[in-house]
This record gives sequence, C-alpha cells and structure tokens, in this order.
Amino acid sequence: MNKTIWTCGSVLALSIVLIGMPGCSKKSVQTGGDSQATKGGTESSKSGVGSFPDTGVQSGGGGLRGLDKNPSEERLGSAAQGKMDSSSNAGRQMEEIRAEQAASAAAGLRDVFFGYDSWVISEEGRQSLSHDAEWMKSNPNALIKVEGHCDERGTVAYNFVLGEKRAKAARNYLVELGVAANRLSVVSYGKERPSCNEHAESCYQQNRRGRILIKSGK
Amino acid sequence: MTQVKLISAWLGGLLLTAAAVGTLESGAADVFLEATRPDFQKITLGVAEILNTGGSDWLAGRIEEVLKHDVRRSLVFELVDLPGLGIQMPDVRNGKGAGSKAVFKQVAEKGVSVLVWGTASWKAAGDQSEVNVEGFVYDSGSDEVVGGKRYAGSPSVVRQMAHRFADELVFRYTGEPGIARTKIAYVAQQGTARELFVMDYDGYDTRQLTADGFLNLMPQWSPDRRFLIFTAYRNRNSQDIDMIELATGKRWTVISFGGLNITPSLSPDGNFLAFASSYEGNSEIYRLDTRTKAIQRLTMNPSGDLSPSWSPNGRELVFVSDRGGGPQLFLMSSDGSNVRRLTFEGDYNAAPVWSPRGNWIAYVCRTRREYKLCIISPDGQKRTQLTTGPGVDDSPSWSPDGRHLAFSSTAEGKSHIYMIDADGKDRERLTFQGTHNSAPSWSPAW
Repeated sequence: MNKTIWTCGSVLALSIVLIGMPGCSKKSVQTGGDSQATKGGTESSKSGVGSFPDTGVQSGGGGLRGLDKNPSEERLGSAAQGKMDSSSNAGRQMEEIRAEQAASAAAGLRDVFFGYDSWVISEEGRQSLSHDAEWMKSNPNALIKVEGHCDERGTVAYNFVLGEKRAKAARNYLVELGVAANRLSVVSYGKERPSCNEHAESCYQQNRRGRILIKSGK
Repeated sequence: MTQVKLISAWLGGLLLTAAAVGTLESGAADVFLEATRPDFQKITLGVAEILNTGGSDWLAGRIEEVLKHDVRRSLVFELVDLPGLGIQMPDVRNGKGAGSKAVFKQVAEKGVSVLVWGTASWKAAGDQSEVNVEGFVYDSGSDEVVGGKRYAGSPSVVRQMAHRFADELVFRYTGEPGIARTKIAYVAQQGTARELFVMDYDGYDTRQLTADGFLNLMPQWSPDRRFLIFTAYRNRNSQDIDMIELATGKRWTVISFGGLNITPSLSPDGNFLAFASSYEGNSEIYRLDTRTKAIQRLTMNPSGDLSPSWSPNGRELVFVSDRGGGPQLFLMSSDGSNVRRLTFEGDYNAAPVWSPRGNWIAYVCRTRREYKLCIISPDGQKRTQLTTGPGVDDSPSWSPDGRHLAFSSTAEGKSHIYMIDADGKDRERLTFQGTHNSAPSWSPAW
C-alpha cells in the first residue's frame, strides 16, 4: 500500500488520483521513505528495442607499439569517416513545428507559464487553460499536444524531467476541466528548444512554458 | 641522485600516497588522487625545437606545439622550459637536432628527467604530400637514448602524429595509454537544430556526425569507442534513444518506448544499457541486457529518476532522483537494490558521472542559483566544489585517465566546451565556433 501523503492543493488532487503521478510533488511528504521503493522490477522483454552491436572492448594496449631504438616507420591514416547521416527530412520537423504553432495561434490557444524550478499551474495559467479547454470542447475532433519547455538554467538532463512535469501538470488540469485524456499527448523538450536565448529573467519566463498545440501527424 | 632513483621515488610516492589515503579515509586507494596533491612529483620533461629537415617550418612548429600541449596536459610530466633553465642548444640545423652528448649532459645536470627532440619533413609529390616525423627520447636517469618513433602519412594526420608520440611517452613512463588520442563528442547548434560532433580532446579536428535538422542530444561513447548512443527525436511528438557508428555514419534506433527516453549509459563491459524512460508514467531508470534484450526496471518511485552512471566495475550506479523535492544524487546496486542517498548539501545536485578510477563522482551542484561542478567520493565523506563564477556549468565528463573533466559552461555568455584538471585548475576553452555547444562526452582511451 502506498503510504504517501499528498498535500497538494485540491485543484490538482483529482489529476493526481487519475494519473497517479505528482503534479506538485514538491509539496508532498513521503512517510514511507525511500527504502520502500528500492527493489528492482522483474525482468521482461518489450517491443521497441533495436539491435545492439557488441560494444565490449576487444583488445587493450591502445595500438601503441612502444619506443624503439631503431624505430621502423609507422604509417598513420585518417580514421575511417562514414558518410554524414543526413536524412531526407532534414529541417522538416522545424517547418511542421512552425505550422503547428501558427495553427494554434490562429485558434487562439494560450500557453501556460511556470515559475523557476516549478511545475505548479498559477492562477493565470489556470485561466489560460480554461480558455483552451473551452476551445477543445467546441472542436471535439482536434488532438492536442502539450509541450514542456524550460529556461537555460539547470542541467540538460534534469530539464527534460522538469519539462515533462510541466507538460503533464497542464495536461492533467485540462483533463480536470473535462477534456478527454485520450485527446491529449505530452512531449518534453527540456531546454533544447528555447523561444529566446538571452540570459535574463524576461527571457527565462518565456521559456518556462507549457505550449498548447493542435497536434498534426503521428 | 640518478634519474632511476627519482622515478622509483616517484612510483614509491604513488604507493605511499595511495596507502595513506586508504588508511586515513577508508576510501578506495587510488593513484589518481596524487595527481591533484601538491606533493605529487611529476616527471620533468623538456621538448627541444623540432628540426625542420625539409619543406615546411610550419610543420615542425606545429608538431612541437601539439606535443608540448599534450605533455603538459598529461599531468604525468612537468613540461620544462629548456632555454629558461640555461640549457644551451646547439644550432639544430647541424643535422642532428638536440640529440647530442653535450645537450644530454646539461639536461642531466639541470635535473631534467626526459629530453625529447625530433625532426619533421614535408615532401610535395603531385597531388599528394607526404609528411615524415621522427621523435626521440633521452632518459637522464639511465643516461641513454631509450628509443624513438618514426611516423609517415598525409598532412591531415600531422596532429595525430604528435598525439600518438605523446601517448607513447605517457605509456613508457606510467604503463597507461594516455589521453592525447582521445576525442570528445558534443552537441552543437545549427540554425534551430542540434547535431552531434566529435573533436580531438584538444578541440581540433572537428567533425560533424548527424545532419537531420532536428534535435540530437546528450551523446555517450560505447566502451569500444566505435559508437555513440544518444537521445533524439523521431519526430516532433516523440523521443527515442539512437546509436550511430562513427566509422560508417550508420544510425538506428535502439529504444523507442514513448514518453521521455533519455540519459543512456552503457555499462563498462557493454553488456547493459541503463537509461531513463517515462513510458510507464514518470521518469524511471531501466536496465537493458543488450544481448538478451531483457529489460528490468530499477527504480520504483513516483518521482523523476534519471542520469544513471556506472561505477567502473559495473556493480553500482549513481543516479539522480527528485524523490525528496529537488534533484539529488543516489547510489544503488546495478540490480536496483540497496538505494541510498549520496548528496545532502544544497537543493539541486544532478548530472553525475563516476570517475573511471572509481574514487570520485563529478556532478552539477547549485550554489546561490549558480550551477557549478562538484566532486564527491562514493562514500559521501569528501566533497569539493571545482568551479566558481557566473554561468551554468553542465554535463561533466571524465577523461579516461580520471585526471580531467570536460564540461559545458555559459561563463562567457554562449555555451561552450571547456576542460579542467580534476582539481578544478588549468581551465581551457575547447570550442570557439557557433552559438551553442553542449553535452560533451569524453571517449575511452585509445
């Protein structure tokens, strides 16, 4: 039994029950401690795993031949260089992202913004999402994507998790407002797709964003 | 005192240092520590002017410059200034370079352990130029020319010749392969895309690996140095983990579970892949057997778990979890058991990487809203902040000799790649092009 006590605000409580994940775990207290959650799961196979080459080190020594009193000539060649991977859709994703953003702006969808280190939806954010939820109810066939973004501070890796928490917090609130969960998907971009690059709070604010988009493509 | 004695004293010092550390601090005894201790005795080494024996003064100068940089960065040697010590060089154009008895005598008298000299020539032959480089080593302890190397190749491998010779020197005096031929993979911005690049450890000979026009992130080397494993976006809606083979450019997807699929890390023997995925809800750490494809979930927690990094013996993982609020470092056995928290200082500790020597874990620590590099011993007893000042320092990556770290920093505005010694000193900027270079990963030794 999960002994975790959630002290999140009531607004998010429903979404936590639904999703089983914290929308605001910073405010939560875990009485069970970490020792409860330390056992690894059982092994299983799963689809979505590609082929792995053997990457173990085959030989040691590093190819050095040592200093020699009468050195023979060592001929050095350039390392083999593969043709640069250049898929045919180079740049296409960025174009389609711009198209998605334009379509969402035309529909009047509003993004939600977050505080430093935070994935809590503010009062202003709730108003934006309420507005978005109304549009979604009027356009029941539209699929919606929530992108989580972060400012440049913090590590690349942890910002992916933070971005996902933001996207899920926004999604959960939309679900709470009555938007069907199966219309909503999330993707985190961490801090890898900033909308501005200045080292200033005015830019950071813009980048701590849950972007609400009309989804196109798979 | 003869040089043999000096070297044996140095080696003895290593053992004593290691033993002392082991006794006093009950940590793993390791020769790495001595490289950062003030009493560490480096081997004094002088590089005489490389003699141009035909074709190009540029060539000889370049060999000397690269070799000197490698020698200094090895931290095995102390590069001495021969003229500064008053050592009189004969006119190197006498045909013999510095390899003469008169020079050897001075070198020994001044207490310089090793003298290196060499020649370089450049022959234009139609479209194809041929470069020949020779290097020789005099050891004042044994008072003999211990040997040399002769390299031939095209002008495109000139730097590789110097790097290779530097690694031979390190190997000769330590039995370790050296880092002069290692490479650093990283991410660079191109327009709005982020692509993978590889450069030599000194920032030269950069080569682009991906050009798909989207996001290719956080590369890590395979233990055999033939592949990079990294996070990529299959399309704008979903993220995967991919591999690319450096020699062929062949690329394919290895993990496509849906949700976040980030921070892949191959075990030192290559048999397991640890990574973080959120396909079951929130970000958890999984371990994949790369041969059987069996997958095991290692963390069970309603919080974000990510960034696994293997201990050198493959038995443990350090990782990040925000189960206590902000991100902190935790340790666990490689089967997910025996989880314990490692960091308690500060409210943001992330991006851990276990030293190849085993005795330190480098990571990003936040102090007063600045993100800096710290190191902590795996028993949590010793902790040091390595970098200071403004900007975000991120993605530390150890050199295979455990004596250096590469990392990204916005200290000078734009994000670039830097290298420091493991004690935080001797900072060197490695990238100068572009607007955003990040996520360096240092290759295993060659």
